Amino acid sequence: MDSTKKTFIYLNGKVIGFVTEPEKFVNEVRATRRKGQISGEINIAYSDKLNSININTDRGRLRKPYLIVENSKQKLTPELIEKLIKKEINFNYLVRNGVIEYLDAEEEENAMVAIKEDEITEKTTHLEFDMASIFGLSANVAPFAEHNAIARQAMSANYMKQAEGLYVTNFNQRFDSRSFILFYPQAPIVTTVPYETLDLKKHASGQNLVVALSTYYGYNMSDALVLNKAAVDRGVGRSMFYKSYSDEERRYPGGQRDRFKIPSPSSEGYMGEHAYSKLSEDGIIEPEVPVVDGDVLIGKVAPPRFLEENIGAGGLEERTRDDSATLKAGENGVIDSVIFTETPGATRTVKVRVRSIRVPERGDKFASRHGQKGVVALIANPEDMPFTASGIVPDLLLNPHSIPTRLTFGHLLEEIAGKAGAVAGRKVDGTSFTKTGNEKLSNYAEMLKQYGFDKYGDEIMYDGMTGRPFKATIFVGVAYYNRLYHMVSNKIQVRSRGKVQILTHQPTEGKARQGALKFGEMERDALIGYGASLLLKERMLDQSDKTTVLICKQCGAMGYYDYIKKTNICPLCGNTSLMPVEISYAFKVLLDEIKSMHIMPKIKINE
Amino acid sequence: MDKKDKSDKYIVNYGEPVGMIAAQSLGEPGTQMILRAFHFAGIESTIATSGLPRIVELVDARKKPATPITYVYLTGDAKKNIEKAEVIMKKISEVKMNTVIKRTLENFPKGMIKLISEEQAMSANNLTPSQVAQKISKKLNISAVVDKDKNILVKLKTKNVEEIRTMSVKIMREVVQGIPDAGKAIIQQDAKTGEFYLIAAGSNIKDIIEVDGVDRSRLYTNDVFAMNGLFGIEAARNTLVNELRKTLKEQKIGVDTRHLMVISDAMTYSGTIKGIGRHGLSGQKNSVFAKAAYEETVKHLVNAAAFSEIDNMRGVTENILVGKQIPLGTGSVRLAIKKEDMQKAAVKKKQK
Repeated sequence: MDSTKKTFIYLNGKVIGFVTEPEKFVNEVRATRRKGQISGEINIAYSDKLNSININTDRGRLRKPYLIVENSKQKLTPELIEKLIKKEINFNYLVRNGVIEYLDAEEEENAMVAIKEDEITEKTTHLEFDMASIFGLSANVAPFAEHNAIARQAMSANYMKQAEGLYVTNFNQRFDSRSFILFYPQAPIVTTVPYETLDLKKHASGQNLVVALSTYYGYNMSDALVLNKAAVDRGVGRSMFYKSYSDEERRYPGGQRDRFKIPSPSSEGYMGEHAYSKLSEDGIIEPEVPVVDGDVLIGKVAPPRFLEENIGAGGLEERTRDDSATLKAGENGVIDSVIFTETPGATRTVKVRVRSIRVPERGDKFASRHGQKGVVALIANPEDMPFTASGIVPDLLLNPHSIPTRLTFGHLLEEIAGKAGAVAGRKVDGTSFTKTGNEKLSNYAEMLKQYGFDKYGDEIMYDGMTGRPFKATIFVGVAYYNRLYHMVSNKIQVRSRGKVQILTHQPTEGKARQGALKFGEMERDALIGYGASLLLKERMLDQSDKTTVLICKQCGAMGYYDYIKKTNICPLCGNTSLMPVEISYAFKVLLDEIKSMHIMPKIKINE
Repeated sequence: MDKKDKSDKYIVNYGEPVGMIAAQSLGEPGTQMILRAFHFAGIESTIATSGLPRIVELVDARKKPATPITYVYLTGDAKKNIEKAEVIMKKISEVKMNTVIKRTLENFPKGMIKLISEEQAMSANNLTPSQVAQKISKKLNISAVVDKDKNILVKLKTKNVEEIRTMSVKIMREVVQGIPDAGKAIIQQDAKTGEFYLIAAGSNIKDIIEVDGVDRSRLYTNDVFAMNGLFGIEAARNTLVNELRKTLKEQKIGVDTRHLMVISDAMTYSGTIKGIGRHGLSGQKNSVFAKAAYEETVKHLVNAAAFSEIDNMRGVTENILVGKQIPLGTGSVRLAIKKEDMQKAAVKKKQK
């Protein structure tokens, strides 16, 4: 035996042996798997370049089903299909009986996959179920995906999962921390076979809008959108925003526990009578009460954080701390529902759901199913918008510049197909890879022509402001648009003055803490580059963490004002002539920390 | 505005933060640079590192560039005569033993090393096995002879295995032709003047300049340290500017040369080449706080405490840290006369 012809076998990456006739061995293993004698989850691949056989049985491999082709014939016979339709057999039966098998990435390297049945040659080992199965589920839900640049299709899949819709039908019973329900969800006019198969129309997440590809006084530059006010009033993109707050009566070691109630004015951190005015007697807010930010939703008192010595002594009232839950800053709405429940640990829990209507406004985000997202820049009055000869005012104006550079021709096809479907009064199919682009286009063009529209969707439009027709025809169609859950009203934040951090005395960071915007290192560099030293000082000191400290003129140590002796004093040398110096609090902290490491920093001052 | 030169208008103002502007002007386009640039026709661009890695190499002041290149211009007839140019090229172009020798076979009991010749490589460099044998026997003081198969036999006095091995490695590293570290040289023709010149993939300009027929006034290498060693710091500074400018131009990035000059000046003003970074410029700042704010905070603070250092608060970083005006731009000017002095002067004037 020639030892150089050994082919090593790796089982999940570990060598378990070798064979001398690798291809024969691999084929035998596969045949055994197809007979169902070994698990269908085993994948085997032979690489002649690496001269190795890899058998993988472990978890985490991405696998995809294919129809098996043997001797240039696929094994899914018409009889089997008939049985499938009669539901005598199912998919798993086909997997077990060697009609369908799953391949992983490595075994795919050994396979010759035909995409269509008439493409099967002698070398073919497998057959795709459908052309469209080269896409995943989410890409297949979008129509005409094969006409889009793949990067856009990937974006489209991302946007579709951010869409507001009817994600569950029992949203009234649920207490999701935040959820959005679209008011008038529609099934798309341009649909796909996977979309219908998944029955996604039961959880529709968008609306069919009349979209004109037109500019509008610069209001839809750079991915901005113009919405028709009448359309918004009719319910385009209108949705409900639910947010849940919850709180529980925690138990503490030592027998103390939280209590739901309206805190008494003696409680630590009492927010004033007004804040609790909307609570009912039990300390919980009632349904259908309108609330604004700062309002207490769940009144709760907790035991004080630090135990004091004479607690409860002398018949004093038990000391409490206010730990109520308030509506977060910048939010408002109506209390939708309140539930009282108990956790397995027998602690009482309250959940409060606040609802508020989100009417589309300037800054809200919309996207079509082709990776074309946009932000509303103007909600135009319908009388000012362009209208067609038949008097149709579009719901949305999309800038035509957003099409050519992004290569999303699927968007245009959807508009034509959607328009054809809308005038014909039925759904249209837009499943990927079913027909060629020209076939589809001529099909829809014929439909449009029948109903008296321009074949390719163009319309003569009139300027709403002057009533004059535009020189050019404008492409108008019907596209399915999703409203995405990024809304300005949930993101807007302003601050002029506000809270500061305890450690550094610098402004807080982040929306939840009413924070300021960071003036970072690069911004600092820019001001240095301008030589704007006073502006830089204002940003870094005056508007940030300015403090005045007393510095000893003699020894340079930090001193303090002695209220009893009514004089400044240096704790190091007892000197009373100190100088007030403006420094940043962060620097003071630095000096303090250096001191804590037994190093004495001293400041020399020139007058 | 009487008889001033027009260029006087473009002199920067007092207190202008030229360093910061230079850093931003180079740093911002740097973010746009692609790691691996497109290559155009010509050998220079295919062998030399370019793009961001090259910029980093220059600014960090690496001792040896990844791809040193020397441009050797010629004098006299060699300019126009390719044969004469070839003679000079042969003198410079470095040929190592490992290019003309396929492999070595050691015979430990006999104390012999057999060097198997690579005949093609030898003839390409106009070398014969006997020439090679002569050279190595002269250089390493060993006896080398050519056998009937045109291979070279080296006879050593020792039979120690270790010594034979080291010698065999040493032989393979030996330069048989040309100048050590000059690299492989090739002849190029200038497209405009038709002049022949050499490009060598090394930077031993110290030895190349000694070769007859080399134009000493135009010898140039992209190795900044080699330029410094031979021509001095001013030449090194100019090389830095040129190399930065060339690299940026390749990527079609327009940075004003004067920014590059500021950077190069900052790197070379001390007389040695310092990189920008912890071990170079930034590490040699005067201020404790500025150093501590940059890198290795604890180390700098501990050192400052141990040697009771004083921070004079003259730089930018330390003044921002404490919250003072920075001594740059509008902050670089101070009131020279006190208010009281002004009043006194006014009183004096009245008295007169």
